[in-house]
Amino acid sequence: MESIQYTVFLLGAIFCAYRAIVAKRILSATIYLACISALVSATLYLLGAAQVAVMELSVGAGLVTVLLVYAVSVVGDDAMDPASVIPKPLAFGVVGLVAVLLGWMAFPAVRITAATGSFDLASSLWQNRVLDVWIQIALIFSGVMGVLGLLSEKVPGAKEEVEQ
Amino acid sequence: MTFTPLNIVLFGIIALLGVGFYGLLITRNLIKIVMVLQVLIKSVILALVLAGKLSGNLGLGQSTAATVIVADTIVAVVGLALAVQVRRRLGTLDVPQISSMRG
Amino acid sequence: MAGIIVALVIGLPWLGAIVVWLARNKHPRLQHILAVLFSLLTAAASIALFMFASSEPVIQIPFGKAFGALTFVPDGLAVLLTAIAAVIGSLAVLFSVDYMHGEEQLGRYYFLVLFFIGAMIGLVLSGNLLFTFFFWEITALCSYGLISFYNDDPKAVAGGIKALIITQVGGVGLLVGTLIVFANLGSFQIADLLGKAATLPAAALSLIAFSFLIAAAAKSAQFPFHTWLPDAMEAPTPISALIHAATMVNAGIYLLARFYPAFKSVPGWAMSVLLVGLISALIAAVSALIATDLKRALAYSTVSQLGYMVYAIGAGGVFASQFHLLSHAVFKALLFLAAGSVIHSVGTRDMRRMGGLGRQMPFVRNVFIIGALALAGVPILNGFWSKELILEIGLEHSPLWAYGVMLFGAGLTAFYTFRMVWLVFFGKERDRLNVHRAGSAMRVALGVLAAGTFVTWLFFGGLNNLLVTTLPFHELEHESLLELVTTILSAPATWLALLVVGLGAGISWVRARGYRLFGGDWLNPLVESSFGFDSLNRFIVLGTYKAAEQFSRTQTGELNWNILGIISALLVVLVVLWLGA
Repeated sequence: MESIQYTVFLLGAIFCAYRAIVAKRILSATIYLACISALVSATLYLLGAAQVAVMELSVGAGLVTVLLVYAVSVVGDDAMDPASVIPKPLAFGVVGLVAVLLGWMAFPAVRITAATGSFDLASSLWQNRVLDVWIQIALIFSGVMGVLGLLSEKVPGAKEEVEQ
Repeated sequence: MTFTPLNIVLFGIIALLGVGFYGLLITRNLIKIVMVLQVLIKSVILALVLAGKLSGNLGLGQSTAATVIVADTIVAVVGLALAVQVRRRLGTLDVPQISSMRG
Repeated sequence: MAGIIVALVIGLPWLGAIVVWLARNKHPRLQHILAVLFSLLTAAASIALFMFASSEPVIQIPFGKAFGALTFVPDGLAVLLTAIAAVIGSLAVLFSVDYMHGEEQLGRYYFLVLFFIGAMIGLVLSGNLLFTFFFWEITALCSYGLISFYNDDPKAVAGGIKALIITQVGGVGLLVGTLIVFANLGSFQIADLLGKAATLPAAALSLIAFSFLIAAAAKSAQFPFHTWLPDAMEAPTPISALIHAATMVNAGIYLLARFYPAFKSVPGWAMSVLLVGLISALIAAVSALIATDLKRALAYSTVSQLGYMVYAIGAGGVFASQFHLLSHAVFKALLFLAAGSVIHSVGTRDMRRMGGLGRQMPFVRNVFIIGALALAGVPILNGFWSKELILEIGLEHSPLWAYGVMLFGAGLTAFYTFRMVWLVFFGKERDRLNVHRAGSAMRVALGVLAAGTFVTWLFFGGLNNLLVTTLPFHELEHESLLELVTTILSAPATWLALLVVGLGAGISWVRARGYRLFGGDWLNPLVESSFGFDSLNRFIVLGTYKAAEQFSRTQTGELNWNILGIISALLVVLVVLWLGA
């Protein structure tokens, strides 16, 4: 039963990922990205990480989607899809080799060992990895500052127009 | 070698990773690149949680995954802001065109 | 105590290099004084090191498991070469005070010279093969920087690049050998290689032996890598004296001498060494016969004498080669510096335009003649004793035809040496040249070296003792000065050699009165192209340029290609891991 659920979710995720990459319009790709988030979130829940699943869903399917839509609205959705720089067979080959090797080597590592740490995310975050949390907070602040600084720059031409 | 459901998750992770790498190699659009990075990060999150589950320390796995989610969101935000600026200044989002610009 | 002196003898020149560079080109006098001061201090420290020579490492700086420890072992071989580098280095720096008077960019010049001296000393003192390689590369870098010092002159730049590329090809040999040693023994220490050489698989040992031979031949300008040294004569003359006669080119000889006990059992190695030395000695001597550029003739002479040293090692006479190295360093530096005085005062290097300068530069003429006598192997001077020792060992341990060729080479040496002396200092003035006398700093340096040619052979006993006691792997024979003197004076080979030398000198004298140059239209083009080997070297240089251009195409600057590169690297890592498991 579990296997089927995993298979469905992950196959769906892979399919959506592929569609997102080859999509011609960015908005379509955004929708597919949101679907990936949902499926990955479901997988995470199945694995037992409920809190992270919720985070992933809200951030991936929510925040990132909104950001992308905003960016596209500012930039304009040029439907361009010229040929890629690297020949597709070469890319496919290299990536395929990497994937096969990784899979081959990682396969034996999938063994469940006895539980050692706590299951609860909250206690783990705030007791064991307090430093992590503070760094994340700092990271969020700096990211917001940087984005504000980046986005608030006026384009030189626009400023002159305003003054005239 | 026993084949547990968790092996399926492993293959799924590697497949997502592979699709992500392929996308990075193929894409020419700056915003698309930011999106492909998101796909890659999702596979990483899955991998971290899986590792946590396998070693029994799910709390640690979850907290690391949470950190990665926060970091990757910041990356997406800053990357998109940069893309917007690039579009305004250089007029194009095509990566090969941007690379070959002079001055 | 020994550790402190070793640290001084490497650290002082490097400190001096930085200090002189910091003194700024606006104060040239300060730079001259500082450079001379630091080099003299280094020379003093290097002589003090003789008292503390030992075969045990005196400094050990651990660098983790990957690199082993950086050890410095002041054994006899190292201490001898250290003293040569430091003392002749200080004399060359002293000479530079006059030679480089009024030149620009003295900071760069003295920095490179002092940096080089420190690196050379580090090279011979190092007990860790990997660090020997590092110092080796530093000396190559300084040599390139100094050959191309007059970087407005395209010939100088071309000469510098040629020297760099050819010595780097040799450096690859050294690195490959070092890595094979590490792969088999798990250690970079030289003492480990010397002690456990017999435990290495035969194929690995052969590969190491021949890689080191290639590195040594390239660095010491031996056949077939001999063409870079004549072109390196574009460097300022004190540099030619220091780097290309007395120190850097000796690094190859040092390498062969140091590792002789490990490689002597490799089939074909000793014979190859012997042949390389023999061929170099012969063709360089012939080339020197018809050279018209004074410094080029001396460069060919250097290659030839280095060939003698290599030949000696091939025949098993490690100590003889080091003894000749000492003599050669002294008299060749003397010859180069004297030639430098001449060139500096008349402004040309072409011997066809010189002549009769002896009357106007008596001091330089006298010291040049002393150096020439030492080079030719005239008795009493140091060259005689060391060359006879080499010939004697050659007679005992090498095939008779090889001995015959080297004997003939000694005659050629005398021939071209006296030709040089005659062309420059005697006869009629062939051109109107403005001559000025050598400055006082030049004279001091020249005088010390000339005195040295009379004296250095007297240290034979002490040196022999030093090397025998501090080189446990080399199995050298104990010999005192008295034994040396009696052996050489009583050997019939010596008298034969003297006869040949006399013949060479005589022919030179006779021809000089009749002809001005050694005629031979068939010989000229042959030597111009270095017996066909210049094309080999040109091929190497051009090949490197083309390969570099091709590689620059991989730097596309495009994101997708860069990512492909990253993923390919990941693939390589995965493959390595997969195979390793």
